[in-house]
Amino acid sequence: MGTTIHNTIRRLRFDRQEMTQQELADRIGVTRQTVNAIELGKYSPSLEVAFRIADVFGVALEQVFQYEAKRGVKRG
Amino acid sequence: MSFREKSAWVSFSCLLVFGGFWLRNVIRIEVYNVPDRNPMLAFFSLLGALILTEIVLHIVIAMRDPKEARTPKDERERLIDLKATRVAFYVLMAGGWLSIGTLHLNFDRLRIADSVLGAIIAAELVKFAAQIALYRRDA
Repeated sequence: MGTTIHNTIRRLRFDRQEMTQQELADRIGVTRQTVNAIELGKYSPSLEVAFRIADVFGVALEQVFQYEAKRGVKRG
Repeated sequence: MSFREKSAWVSFSCLLVFGGFWLRNVIRIEVYNVPDRNPMLAFFSLLGALILTEIVLHIVIAMRDPKEARTPKDERERLIDLKATRVAFYVLMAGGWLSIGTLHLNFDRLRIADSVLGAIIAAELVKFAAQIALYRRDA
């Protein structure tokens, strides 16, 4: 696809008194391994889970996930 | 290692061992012409042992992490299942067509059943191996 999605979950967890991956996982209804995979950029979550993560941290979705289109990708 | 990954390892290992026993029996009969008096009894004994071993080992790994074992699969785990099943589908299809091809070799019913069973075992092994690989990649 030629796109990259970055996220700031690790920093957001740190800012929330070092919330653990397990705590975040329990609050958004996924496993700890899935939170780890999302954090490392190895798995892109569904929109619903992405919104749930943003909701847990009380921030906008764009503050959690940043989309970066690679150059040279044709549109349409 | 997550409960799901352990579960995939258990299923893969059990199927590899019991599938190996089944293949050994088939080779003994087909290649070395060792008489098999009751092939259905041997097959169902192996199947029963496989199911029992899987149940016992799954109880053991669930007891080690009961919370995770009770948790339903999340979207990533369901996606891993789907991807692994997709890979296994091609193996099953290839095995199915090859089994149909055995009709032209004048195989008897038992041999055709064995070739279909071989395709099913191979597809299941590929599915569990793909699940393990996908869990490992995301770890």
